[in-house]
Amino acid sequence: MRELKRYKNELIIGLTLLLLLIAFFYKQVQVSGESSSGKDTATSLQELKEVISLKKIWGDKKITKKVEKLKTILPPSKVQWSRKSKKLTASFKNITPQELNKLMVKIMNLAVEIEKLDVKKSGTSYQVELKCKW
Amino acid sequence: MSSVTHVPPEGTNIMLTPQFYTIKRESIPVKYSYQAKRIAPSLFEGLLEEAEYKYFVSKEEDGWLFIAYDEEKIKTFLEQKGIMPEQISKVYFAEQASEHFTAPVLLGEKEALVNLNGTMTVVPQVALTLDEKTMQVSTELTPKKGVTFEGRGESFISSNEAYTLAAIFMLFAVIYFVEGSRYGGENAAEAAEIQTLLEDYPSLQSSYTRESIATKYKTIDKKERKKRDMIKALSHMIFKGSTLTSLSIGNKKFQAEFACKDANVAKKLKELAKKEKFNTTKVANSNDIKIEGTL
Repeated sequence: MRELKRYKNELIIGLTLLLLLIAFFYKQVQVSGESSSGKDTATSLQELKEVISLKKIWGDKKITKKVEKLKTILPPSKVQWSRKSKKLTASFKNITPQELNKLMVKIMNLAVEIEKLDVKKSGTSYQVELKCKW
Repeated sequence: MSSVTHVPPEGTNIMLTPQFYTIKRESIPVKYSYQAKRIAPSLFEGLLEEAEYKYFVSKEEDGWLFIAYDEEKIKTFLEQKGIMPEQISKVYFAEQASEHFTAPVLLGEKEALVNLNGTMTVVPQVALTLDEKTMQVSTELTPKKGVTFEGRGESFISSNEAYTLAAIFMLFAVIYFVEGSRYGGENAAEAAEIQTLLEDYPSLQSSYTRESIATKYKTIDKKERKKRDMIKALSHMIFKGSTLTSLSIGNKKFQAEFACKDANVAKKLKELAKKEKFNTTKVANSNDIKIEGTL
């Protein structure tokens, strides 16, 4: 007991130093875990999130409904519509520049693969032909 | 005082008589001991002999009790009496227990410790009246607070240095533990997030499926984004004097034609197209511009 008291200061330093070393190695283990398996986990998570977000955009199950809405933005007399399953062929005739603008914005915001998009001006109106799939 | 022949292994407490310290009682407006300790040296200025003093403070009813003591001098004295510094548990000052000294305490054969008007004093025993009752020092007199002496020449590091180093080591240890747990936590949180996402999208559990879906959609995404970026770029080429007359987008290329009011408009349009790295050609016998590009 007296010996312990004699070296009390050294003991305090020794114990705290030991604690410091334990803490340091604990951190190193965690960091190396993070840098190997942790990095893999982070990459996997990032990839997974990317796939999910791509799937949400290009594999949207409600896309057919959204495509159908395209038909309603112009008067029916100006629209010729032919949809077979997940393929659409549509033509829009005698549309004004404002209507063309609106139509183009809608088409651009639809997550569909545009196979063909033709715009032709005749006089003051436009004709649009669209072929797309999803 | 004769030499001490036996000191218990667990150590001993010492109560010092007034020869070993100087006291001062002051009513000062401080609340905590550390504040009082800080001003203690200034209170004894000019009162003490040249030496390295340490200070002890204690709160009393009417103010503070300040005690200045020379640790080295006390240690030397105790060593002469056979008590090594490392054998001392706590050191107290008789002044701290002055109210308990209701009768004189005999110190050896010549001196006595007495309470004179609340201050402990060493007087010659001849000054005591013959029939005066004396008392013995007992553990009941032990004050609550005392000081600890450092062992002499045994420890390589002083207490102050030891505590400072220990505090630094502890601080770093805490930092490392916190950082370590943060890294571990992040990893676990990411793994948990993957698990949750896979539960929500069971079809993505196989890495093959994931890769095939990613390849398929990445190709579509890249191609379709290019088409949309191109349409956006062409839309910026419609301005006063420039009208889109035709646009044709296929799977691999596109073609657009703009009617330009005059040569200046045609020039500006060409510049805009060049910026987008599109190919331009002038339509013969007009200001119209044809823009082409690949997808």
